Amino acid sequence: MSNKKARNIFITVCISPAIILFILFMVVPTVEVFRMSMYSWGGFSNTKEFVGFDNFKVLWNDAGFIQSFQNSVLLIVLVAMITIVFALFFAALLTKENLKGNNFFRIIFYIPNILSIVVIAGIFSAVYDPESGLLNSVFDIFSLESMKQMWLGNQSIVIYSVAGALVWQAIGYYMVMYMSSMASIPASYYEAASLEGAGKLKQFTSITLPLIWNNIRTTLTFYIISTINLSFLLVKAMTGGGPDGSTEVFLSYMYAQAYGNSTYGYGMAIGVVVFLFSFALAAIVSHITKRDVLEY
Amino acid sequence: MKMKHLLFALSALFLVIALSACSGGDDSSDNKANGENGDKDEETTLHVAALESAYGADMWKKVAEAYEATNENVKIEFTIEKNLEEVVRPEMQAGSYPDVFLLATDREEALTETLIKEKAVENLSDVLEMKVPGEEAVVKDKILDGFTDTLATNPYGDGETYLAPMFYSPTGLFYNESLFEEKGWEVPQTWDEMWELGDKAKEEGISLFTYPIAGYFDTLLGSMLYASGGPDFYNSAMTYEDNIWETKEAERVLKTVEKLGEYTHPNTVANANPNDFTKNQQLVLENKALFMPNGSWVVDEMKEAPRADGFEWGMAPVPAFEEGGDRYAFTFFEQIWIPSAAENKDAAKDFIAYMYSDEAADIFLEAGAVQPIEGIVEKLNDQKKIFYSVYENGALPAMGTFASTEPVPGASISDEVYGTIDSVISGKTTYEQWKKDIEEVSDKLRPAMK
Repeated sequence: MSNKKARNIFITVCISPAIILFILFMVVPTVEVFRMSMYSWGGFSNTKEFVGFDNFKVLWNDAGFIQSFQNSVLLIVLVAMITIVFALFFAALLTKENLKGNNFFRIIFYIPNILSIVVIAGIFSAVYDPESGLLNSVFDIFSLESMKQMWLGNQSIVIYSVAGALVWQAIGYYMVMYMSSMASIPASYYEAASLEGAGKLKQFTSITLPLIWNNIRTTLTFYIISTINLSFLLVKAMTGGGPDGSTEVFLSYMYAQAYGNSTYGYGMAIGVVVFLFSFALAAIVSHITKRDVLEY
Repeated sequence: MKMKHLLFALSALFLVIALSACSGGDDSSDNKANGENGDKDEETTLHVAALESAYGADMWKKVAEAYEATNENVKIEFTIEKNLEEVVRPEMQAGSYPDVFLLATDREEALTETLIKEKAVENLSDVLEMKVPGEEAVVKDKILDGFTDTLATNPYGDGETYLAPMFYSPTGLFYNESLFEEKGWEVPQTWDEMWELGDKAKEEGISLFTYPIAGYFDTLLGSMLYASGGPDFYNSAMTYEDNIWETKEAERVLKTVEKLGEYTHPNTVANANPNDFTKNQQLVLENKALFMPNGSWVVDEMKEAPRADGFEWGMAPVPAFEEGGDRYAFTFFEQIWIPSAAENKDAAKDFIAYMYSDEAADIFLEAGAVQPIEGIVEKLNDQKKIFYSVYENGALPAMGTFASTEPVPGASISDEVYGTIDSVISGKTTYEQWKKDIEEVSDKLRPAMK
């Protein structure tokens, strides 16, 4: 008994630093965000006023918040869908086909992920430049004048321009993740399938996809989290939320409210909504994609 | 079971210890703050936080040296950063405030506005009555007329000055003087002449107008409001008077901006963001657009940029609405202020009074920063004189900003008035919708005014 007690004390002492750090730097700030969302406060003074759920009531009628929410959801959906298609395609190509310069392409695809998001913003504002930009110049060469656009100026397409940059930087990262799990699928499955006369596409949908399904599920959560975070950074550096708020995402709107508009409490209320939304979305996505894990 | 209890108790204990340790830290710093208050004879360390702008950080060091030379018991410590807000905000939240701030309003992080809204800025009206250190003159006599009775210095509109004016710069429409000479064009006096010139320029493939980012309209729109309805009208708009944007004076300003959209260089909106705004300024340098709203700082900002042959900066006040009508050039200035939580307020006030001495003004001027004091224009070099003498050539000075309110969640007047301009210029929003939106936000802010 005393031996067991000593063991328990030892375990407690060993894990307590981690628990303390976790509580101090994760739990306390999160609870703090929830608490501050109930106050009307500018951020500095001692005149915090408890307003209950008033901040949340304002949210429902705030056109700026609704616009930023729509933009964020659009970005999450677009970036996840497009990236997953491209990443799977390239991953399958690079693992299954014996291409020349396999490794070279793997590195090339991965490079955008190493770049800082501010550099990416710089690259893409050069790509999207109305006059000398890569995109408009290419259309010029092929005399496709009608395709030329103000990529960052036209309010109905600028959010897709932001999505384009996000997809570009995400593909490499997810491709490498899919490649690693594709590589562990035994080659004999594919041999057997091709002997039975299954084509490449059939092999992909019936062997590759089911066997890396768990990996894909995990990355879906990553898409949600990383798009929310990276879109804020990219928008801050590339468009500043403009023109006229058309690329505002919810973290940038939260920042603008908490600091720019001196309504810190309201900003925290937006933070709470973002927190709950991303949790709920990740849970739903994880739930509806749940399949029996295939052992091999 | 027991083990679980033990674990829980222990972690709870740790949490309590950790939390009390945190709050303990706060207490001690508070005590320190109280203890250091009022020690006038001993050495005071004055903590000055200044934004590092185009003028650079060196001028502050030189000013500090000069100040310390005459005030031996004062030592000045600086925080000079380009991202000043991000650096000092955490310190301030931990209870350690700088004594003096040089940080203007209308910046994205809005730290100054936040403190104004929270009534955490010290009243500086008594500084205006102080003698400038080392001189006989009183501060308020030395500061140029009009600079200390705007909403930018008296944010609550009660006649009390909370922010002192620093580094001013006239703003207006910047253009290439030699292009106008070459083509034989006159700088338009009225908006009608402006549109005529716009049509002429269009034939030559030049757009009439561009702007760096929508935020630059704070000075252009300000001048237009002044020109349209005079100073009282401007102040009514800035204090959210009911239905003020429905008046015909306001309407013609908004309509003019909408019409300006037809004459704006097509690339402008796409480049009107913090990353690319210099591309819009480049349009003027390359004779692709005639005018842009800007301040005299643009000359230094675009110093290294390539430009059309013989390019020469010119600045015009904003056109009048009718023949012979008033023309205004908005004066932009930065502000220096003391947070209420500062430790050494008396020393800070003395330091601010010193900012208006000839000695300090000369040091600032060397770095290109112009103090709003009597006789400064005579000291300027020729290039600068052209801009600063705009008021001697018939333009009226315009100053001010929106009145401070209690923070209202989701209601930002500058987003609504200036941010929307991107949409108005691109044609997505009509001036009627714009007007309606501004009225709506004004309605929300009016009751929140102090």
